[in-house]
Amino acid sequence: MSAHGVTRRLAQADVSIPSTSSWSKLPLIGGGLAAAGAAGSAAFGLADHGQLFFSYLVAFLFFVSIAIGGLFFVLVNHLSRAGWGVVVRRLAENLMGTLPLFLLLFVPIAFGLHDLYHWAHHEAVAGDPVLAGKAVYLNPTFFLIRGFAFLVLWSAAGLWFLRTSVAQDSSGEPCLTRRMQMASAPMTLLFAVTVTLAAFDWIMSLEPHWFSTVFGVYFFSGCVVAVYATMILLVLALDRSRLLGNAVSIEHVHDLGKMLFAFVAFWAYIAFSQFMLIWYANLPEETIWYSQRWDNSWRGISIFLAVGHFIVPFFFLLSRAIKRNRTLLACGAAWMLFIHLVDVHWLVMPTHHREGFHFSLMDPAAILFVGGLFLVVLGLGLKKQALVPLKDPRLSESLAFENF
Amino acid sequence: MAQAVALDLDPIEARPQLIAGEQSFNAITEAVALPVEWKPPLGWWIALALSSSLLGLFGISIAYLFWEGTGIWGLNNPIFWAFDITNFVFWVGIGHAGTLISAILFLFRQKWRTSINRAAEAMTIFAVMCALSFPGIHVGRPWLPYYMFPIPNQMGMWPQFRSPLIWDFFAVSIYGTVSLLFWYVGLIPDLATIRDRAKTRVRQLAYGFFALGWRGSNRHWQNYERAYLILAGLATPLVLSVHSVVSFDFATAQLPGWHTTIFPPYFVAGAIFSGFAMVMTLMLICRVVFGLRHIIQPLHLDRMAKIMLLTGTIVGYAYGTEFFIAWYGQNDYELFAFVNRATGPYAWAYWTMVGCNVLSPQVFWFKKARTCIPLLFVISIFINIGMWFERFVIITTSLHRDFLPSSWDYFRPTFWDLSTFVGSFGLFLTMFCLFVRFLPMVAMAEVKAILPIANPHHHAPAKTH
Amino acid sequence: MKPKAATERPKSFGLVAQFDTPAAIFRACEKVRDAGYLRWDAHTPFPVHGLDKAMGLKPSRLPWISLVLALGGAATGLLLQWWTSAVEYPLIISGKPYFSWPAFVPVIFELSVLGGAAGAVFGMLFLNRLPQLYHALFRVDAFAKVTDDKFFISIEAADPRYDEQKTRKLLESAGASLVTVVEA
Repeated sequence: MSAHGVTRRLAQADVSIPSTSSWSKLPLIGGGLAAAGAAGSAAFGLADHGQLFFSYLVAFLFFVSIAIGGLFFVLVNHLSRAGWGVVVRRLAENLMGTLPLFLLLFVPIAFGLHDLYHWAHHEAVAGDPVLAGKAVYLNPTFFLIRGFAFLVLWSAAGLWFLRTSVAQDSSGEPCLTRRMQMASAPMTLLFAVTVTLAAFDWIMSLEPHWFSTVFGVYFFSGCVVAVYATMILLVLALDRSRLLGNAVSIEHVHDLGKMLFAFVAFWAYIAFSQFMLIWYANLPEETIWYSQRWDNSWRGISIFLAVGHFIVPFFFLLSRAIKRNRTLLACGAAWMLFIHLVDVHWLVMPTHHREGFHFSLMDPAAILFVGGLFLVVLGLGLKKQALVPLKDPRLSESLAFENF
Repeated sequence: MAQAVALDLDPIEARPQLIAGEQSFNAITEAVALPVEWKPPLGWWIALALSSSLLGLFGISIAYLFWEGTGIWGLNNPIFWAFDITNFVFWVGIGHAGTLISAILFLFRQKWRTSINRAAEAMTIFAVMCALSFPGIHVGRPWLPYYMFPIPNQMGMWPQFRSPLIWDFFAVSIYGTVSLLFWYVGLIPDLATIRDRAKTRVRQLAYGFFALGWRGSNRHWQNYERAYLILAGLATPLVLSVHSVVSFDFATAQLPGWHTTIFPPYFVAGAIFSGFAMVMTLMLICRVVFGLRHIIQPLHLDRMAKIMLLTGTIVGYAYGTEFFIAWYGQNDYELFAFVNRATGPYAWAYWTMVGCNVLSPQVFWFKKARTCIPLLFVISIFINIGMWFERFVIITTSLHRDFLPSSWDYFRPTFWDLSTFVGSFGLFLTMFCLFVRFLPMVAMAEVKAILPIANPHHHAPAKTH
Repeated sequence: MKPKAATERPKSFGLVAQFDTPAAIFRACEKVRDAGYLRWDAHTPFPVHGLDKAMGLKPSRLPWISLVLALGGAATGLLLQWWTSAVEYPLIISGKPYFSWPAFVPVIFELSVLGGAAGAVFGMLFLNRLPQLYHALFRVDAFAKVTDDKFFISIEAADPRYDEQKTRKLLESAGASLVTVVEA
């Protein structure tokens, strides 16, 4: 308790990845995984490029959602002037620092438009007044311009916040914090609009007739669940390797667990609202999306998602004791990441496999490929700078933080 | 030692002390207990007289409604639902800020909330009372509202649980009950304070009865704090659910402009937005009238303005998304409903709504605006107006253009529509006047607990150990 | 005879000591805890951070009461809607099944919140044995400040380690600004 009044300082060496640590090999490991994934995708994908692109889209969305979530974490921390989260913010900054990678990874989607999106077919649009009506918006050129524009915006914002934060590690200038706080408010506004449109474009338009106004919020809630789960795993793993110099205590882990719990509930709230309203009004143009996910073996996945993404984790994470137990919380976070992947799969795949759930070896291959590259960029970022913002003005508040 | 003090302050914004003035527990007690113990000033009597006359108007309007029926309102064929439901949604929304401040900001450890949470919670309860009076009266037949309770009628029929209107009744009445419990739990220690300071036997007995014999026991505090935390944890999803369920009243229908999946979160954001505006309006008045400037400081107003900016912008986001999807869905009826909102006969109401709700809070991007008290007051009134219009626009514009063009019509409120609405403010304000007179309007125990001297490890700068 | 007369005097409730700052009561609580007293309490105008630990209190059982009642509320909501809509008076409404679970979720949720909240509030009162409008401590005039700005420790005479002289000494050495006997 008397530690309250003592300002602790962190040395760069205590919170950096030494070259002897296995963490420094993360980019290499990632590279290996990506190579394996690429080989696997090539081996299976040449025969069935429809499946290849759909598997790739799932993998892309899964990992980009973590990166988008990282950006959100950083924005909210600055927006709310939060003190407690400073010690873990650098990890979120590193996750967000992978955003430029997705600019590159978006390129294959440009080549797969024809396989992925029904509206990209000229003849389909010509014979369909609804699609013809939205062709001003849903056309390949504008779609790609938007997609790249969103990614450029997020990457630029991500890099700027990361660089500014790292610059503070050496200078300790409080004005940098002030600048980031100033920028966070308008950026949050842009973030909300772009993430919504990205969700509409990349996922909702897979079924070009279907629409749901809350869909952007649904995708957003998934991103946030994903980032908190990832953060918990990263924090616990790095702390186990003693790379966080005791900066992160169980109190911070507990708080991350609470946020994960809150967003598990938020996800369920949005998912239920969307489902219930469409079920209740029973308009065919809307119910079709759910009946595709209910009328055949997708029903099993739908139920699994409801149970695994809400009911089980809700009661699991409700317990304070579990949120303060590193092993159990890590299990919960890993489960949430897995079930988030199931969620993304469930959003995308029924378009390709209308007949029912289908597992393809290209699914894990695409995950390995995108995930491997993600780990390369993340690993390089983690190595490059301290794992904790060393001279953030609110660092001592964060270090002393305690739940009541 | 200096470092210990520094921890209480923020290095970036020099987070100011949340409570200005003399830093002692007794000073807080004195300041908060004063309005409960003094002879109220003339201003209070004038306010009470005005609000109770409005309450009288409310009573007369309801009595006449029961005598005559809903024909006294301006309802017509496609618009069977207008001011009654608009007022209901408006009042439920006002209540939401109280729960946000007392529960959600508590969970987010926002200590500044302690200056305003008591009054905001009181506001919640009074707003829910106003809200619930509308479902009670809106059919003009006071012997029928028991249909809302799970009681079978004379034919053995039960309430229709697949109807959102029943969900709504459950949601709002449980919301009122839980808010009352939450508020009362918070009041117990402060009622004990008033009891212990009582100069007359009547006051001692009256406050003593409701204080339940509270004696500040730490064994009690332990359970008490746990109860408070649980209540906050329950009130947070509850407040989200209440306005979501209100939005289901509309969104489960197939009417263009009502049936849209973003309604639940959008209604919640709008509710918090309107509630904060009302808290702002009332707090700006109270801090002046009751001399609480050192407890409700510009800092609190600044943060409330930020929340209004945030929620107002979320509401703007929802307006935009709805409009975009109305076009994107390529459904003629849906698109017509939205174009008609913006350009049809109710365009004046639509643009009032957009101007007040989306545009006016944008001035809060500037710190100067967030601390300029006259401007805060004006904008908070604008938002109150705008949020009432939001519900009016949603309800009336979607109804007045029926699927059958032959039944298109225009709703004009009558005197009794307006008098019922204005009268409901009488109920709200009368309750509020009584509240500030008889109950401590700032949560004393909670404010004391956030003073730097309340920390047992706080080192007073003057003393050395 | 004399010693007997002394014991026949009305027994006191115990001792109450006044402290002036949160820091003082915090240290005093640690001392009383370490001295091994069991039937004692601290009284403060607001919850003092960390005092539970300083007193050595076990965690509250309240969350369990609340959880059980919340689940009870949920079960009530489910059974009520299932029985009235699907069993007692089944009626087809807008072509939906009698047991339309998505439509029943809102009421189930609201009732579980009601149960949980009632459990938290009434469970808290039950665990605290409140309302208890009379208490021996209210006889001490200085104790009225407990809801304003003073801090107290009360040690009951029923405590096995209680000894008026020794206990008083302990409280005084712990920094009490005032120690009085509380009459029963």
